[in-house]
Amino acid sequence: MTELLRFANVSAGYGPFRALFDVSFDIQPGEAVALLGANGVGKTTIARVATGLLAPSSGTVTFGGTDLTGAAAHRFARAGVAHAPEGRSVFATLSVEENLRLSFRRSKGRAGVDAAVGQAFELFPALGQRHRQIAGTLSGGQQRMLAMARVIVEEPRLLVADELSLGLAPIIVDEVYRNLDRLRQHGCALLIVEQHVGHAVALCDRAVVLDRGRTTWIGPADQASERLVRNLFQTESPMENSPTE
Amino acid sequence: MTNVLDTQGVSKKFSGIMAVHDLSISVDAGESVGLIGPNGAGKTTFFNCVLGVLRVNAGVVRLAGDDVTEMPVHARARRGIGRTFQRIELFAESTVREHLLIAERTRRRDGGLWKDLIGRGRPRADEIAKCDEVLELLGLRDVADEPIEHLSLGQGRLVEVGRALMTDPKLLLLDEPTSGLDRQETADLAITLRAVQEHRQFAILLVEHDVEFVSSFTQRSYVLDFGQLIASGPTQDVLRDPQVRAAYLGVEEISS
Amino acid sequence: MTLAATLGSDLLRALLQGTPPGTVYALIALGFVLTYKTSGVFNLAFGAQASISAAMYYKAHTDWRWPILPALIVSVFVLAPGVGLLLERLVFRHLRTASSVAKIVVTLGLSIAVPSIFELVFQFQGVAGRTPEGIVPNGAGVYYDPFGVYPFSRNELMTMAVAVTAMLGLAALFKFSALGLQMRAVVESPRMTELNGIRADRVSALSWALSSSFAGMAGVLIAPRFNTLAAPDFFNLVVVAIAAAVLGKLVSLPRALVGGFCLGWIIALLGTFLPRWSRTQTWLRPFQENLTPSVPFLVLFGVLVFWPAIRRAREASDPLSGVDPPPSSVGSGARGASRPRFSRVIGLALLVGIGVIVFIRADTSWIFLVTQAVVMSTIYLSVTVITGLAGQISLCQGTFAAIGGFTVFQLADRHGVSVLLAAVIGAVIAAAVGAVLSLPVLRLGGVWTAVATLAFAYLFDSVLVKISWICGGGTSLLQGTRVPRPVVGPWDFADDRSFLVLTVIVFIVVAFAVTQIRSGTVGRTLSAISGSEVAAESIGISPARARVTAFAVSAFIAGLGGALLSIHQRNVNYGSNFSPFAALFWLVLVVSLGARTVQGAAQAGAAFSLFDTLILRGTFMGWILRSSKRIPEIFPINPKWRFVFFGLGTIQFARHPEGLVEHGKRQMRRRVDALRKRRTGSGGSIDDASPVSTPQPSSEPSNETDTAVVPVGETTR
Repeated sequence: MTELLRFANVSAGYGPFRALFDVSFDIQPGEAVALLGANGVGKTTIARVATGLLAPSSGTVTFGGTDLTGAAAHRFARAGVAHAPEGRSVFATLSVEENLRLSFRRSKGRAGVDAAVGQAFELFPALGQRHRQIAGTLSGGQQRMLAMARVIVEEPRLLVADELSLGLAPIIVDEVYRNLDRLRQHGCALLIVEQHVGHAVALCDRAVVLDRGRTTWIGPADQASERLVRNLFQTESPMENSPTE
Repeated sequence: MTNVLDTQGVSKKFSGIMAVHDLSISVDAGESVGLIGPNGAGKTTFFNCVLGVLRVNAGVVRLAGDDVTEMPVHARARRGIGRTFQRIELFAESTVREHLLIAERTRRRDGGLWKDLIGRGRPRADEIAKCDEVLELLGLRDVADEPIEHLSLGQGRLVEVGRALMTDPKLLLLDEPTSGLDRQETADLAITLRAVQEHRQFAILLVEHDVEFVSSFTQRSYVLDFGQLIASGPTQDVLRDPQVRAAYLGVEEISS
Repeated sequence: MTLAATLGSDLLRALLQGTPPGTVYALIALGFVLTYKTSGVFNLAFGAQASISAAMYYKAHTDWRWPILPALIVSVFVLAPGVGLLLERLVFRHLRTASSVAKIVVTLGLSIAVPSIFELVFQFQGVAGRTPEGIVPNGAGVYYDPFGVYPFSRNELMTMAVAVTAMLGLAALFKFSALGLQMRAVVESPRMTELNGIRADRVSALSWALSSSFAGMAGVLIAPRFNTLAAPDFFNLVVVAIAAAVLGKLVSLPRALVGGFCLGWIIALLGTFLPRWSRTQTWLRPFQENLTPSVPFLVLFGVLVFWPAIRRAREASDPLSGVDPPPSSVGSGARGASRPRFSRVIGLALLVGIGVIVFIRADTSWIFLVTQAVVMSTIYLSVTVITGLAGQISLCQGTFAAIGGFTVFQLADRHGVSVLLAAVIGAVIAAAVGAVLSLPVLRLGGVWTAVATLAFAYLFDSVLVKISWICGGGTSLLQGTRVPRPVVGPWDFADDRSFLVLTVIVFIVVAFAVTQIRSGTVGRTLSAISGSEVAAESIGISPARARVTAFAVSAFIAGLGGALLSIHQRNVNYGSNFSPFAALFWLVLVVSLGARTVQGAAQAGAAFSLFDTLILRGTFMGWILRSSKRIPEIFPINPKWRFVFFGLGTIQFARHPEGLVEHGKRQMRRRVDALRKRRTGSGGSIDDASPVSTPQPSSEPSNETDTAVVPVGETTR
């Protein structure tokens, strides 16, 4: 049992709407895994199940050897799972510093809060300059930085990053991925949900390709984009130079 | 001949961000047109602009030549736009046939409080016959009296199609009709839809992620990315376009 | 010069005078918004929570002669937070995914149940005429006049001091403490807070306790002004709180605070200047006295109608709300489960039998009660239409009924119109009012429809009732609105038995009409809309139009029923029959027992007028035991239990919108089916003649895992 996160035959959905069927995969400690597939194939659902936001309807989710199937999100967080959800991922009505304090108070204890906040501002001086600014008034890129700062200082065992590049300028996307890489250097495992594969494939070791809520392929990340193309455009002979099946 | 649907320069902004920018498309009577593109490309937003769920910031939406830009959803529906929903929307605790009956009654517009009170509000024989005809067409005859809670998702989707058909649509907007369906159900849906379309002669505008479904189903397609039209033309050609593939993968070039 | 000086000092006096109530309004608005934001519950039971703290304080301080401080601590810092925690833990935590309309119905039930529970436990009688004391000795007797224009009573000063302290405390908690930070985070997004490793439900429970304390505090502070400890008077408080809160768009605590103060000032300003203006502007005179207390309702109604953006206040707030399964719909599904013909015949025969016995044997008081039950059932059919069919919560059915009653009084007593004709005219007027009202109100939808109709009910209650040409003036609250019984040809309905026959006929006609509507175009259209509004629109249904019809029909039935009730009692008796709080119980009763069927309405009518006499007094038990002497000791049970019983009955509404009776029947039928399946082939089924048993929509939670498709409006049940 060396896996950090393990999905075993997980099915999940929203009310009657089933988004995942019998999904199994795992992530080793320190490994980066990309979830790839078109919109609506269940990537975000996997991210939500992996962080406890959504309870699977069947199957088990284990983290670090502990069965967390159906546990509340705060238990995942306490076990070391951090989640950067799709879209807005900071508290828009709290100030920058309060956003950090809220999270560090739990993870670092009363005594460690100030040091942790200091560390975050050291890593991201731009945030330190705006520590009293209400987070909702930050730009999209700055908000993403704030979320990253929180995660980097907390040093989770697994970061689930959902569509981090969505709606960001390319230069900011690069910055985000630099930080993800930094996290990896620190031994944090990554589960990256992306529709745009370029960055993800470059960063990750392995990739899971999804189609209609099922895993269709798991393998080395550098072969993923070709698989994905075939998945998306499988009606005709795919690319001129892609290998035949 | 006039187009069933014709949009010109449709734009929609959300808090400063252009979700749909200057989009002009047209759909001819009886043809099937695809609307594809990656996540966040603005397909659903555009759909909602056509349906009247959202008001456009700029541009014109014409249905069979008439300007419907300012009309509410139900008025557009009466002028011939039918639709299905990505996350299935059926009437709770009603049977399959009841779904079609209320659509038929709404289309006829001859019901009302006074008719109800004098006992003439119940479904009439000719209405039931017409509904059963459509149910037959969709292969739902066996489950006609089942409450929709007992159906599979694929059947539920067909009920949505049937309900829309009762309004005699000139144009059917299908919003990701295969979402939630497995391969077999998807294939069945394609066969049924094609058969129904042949029989009833209406145009289809299809938003769909399943490229296979789109390419087997539509003659032409429009491709959106970042709210703008990046390609259009025969579906097979469009899907072969490197620019389209790049948009789907979010990288500059993918032919390795 | 002097004029300006007087004006200035008047203005100052009004502002000073408005400040003490303003602080209390602010306090209660803060508490209300806090609950709303942390748990999404639009807590109409807030007034009830305030009232029990006020009552507790009175009980401890005045009855038990406790000193002020312990009495205050027990009522505000023990009882109030305790009740808040209990409500969160036992009720609202389980309703997290219920629709907001279902939640509001539950809070209505609690508004009625909670004070009754308190009164039963502490043997408290919350009637008017008891003068509660403030939290300082001799608070109403000692005055201070710091500015020389308005003397503050000691109570008022204390009120301001305490309220301001509480607000500062809340501000400090939010600004400087970890818990406060967590509360603010939960306010924004419970799910994102969870992702930070914080237990959002625990934080939410604590904020329930906190907001409940605010309610309790406000209750204790405001009680001396009210001069009463009756729960209905405190229910007004929540309407005031909502009015203050909507001024802050319901999302902002600071703005709710300002809203509270503004209300206090506006009321005081009107109270000061209105009498002066009406000296020259005679048209103002009738409004003069009534306008002031109705300001909050006027403000609330105005804001809701003219500022519809308010309803979107919360919807967009939680970025992760997509995880929740969609809530189940409230109305619709009127597809009557096909009842075996055999048992229907038996039931009908039994009913007719009872009817004949009552008609022949019953004495005057029983005839009275049965007639009342029939009339109330007629009124309740209006709830069947608006809530059961259209899925809307209307809290002004009492007002529609009152319009019917007052019309009969005006036309028959004052103008000599035939009584039955007057009743029909009354119903038509009610329908017209309902239709006009629905135009602005139904744009709002959901919770806001409920709140706007409530505001309208209070507006009617505080302004229109007192206008002589509408409702008969100030005396109409209690008595003095005489209504004659009709005489039609040879039949004189002054006789109670023949009037009973008349009411039964009316009920049958209306019930028949309702079933016709339900199975006709209108009913099926409404059912489609409440099943899925977007889908209904997509096939060309105009929801607005259908809802106007529903509102008008419902108001017509309520008006007709109200007219009958007034004719029956020979008086309109507005205060006891139709006041907004009295009418709340109607809704609670119907919703508890079953808002979807005619039977539900009939059972609710019977429960309203017979439950007490028949069950709680032990009469029924006596019949079974065949001697009134053998009735067990526990009878007579306090009639307040029915408020508790039916009030708490609304809690199940969130999960089983079909109501207690229908739900019970479905359970029973399912069990019978299961039993029959077990012994397949065995003939002698007792009550079922239908060859194919109707498939029941399964409501087990396990439903989520199988592949059955459930419409979006109807998932977790």
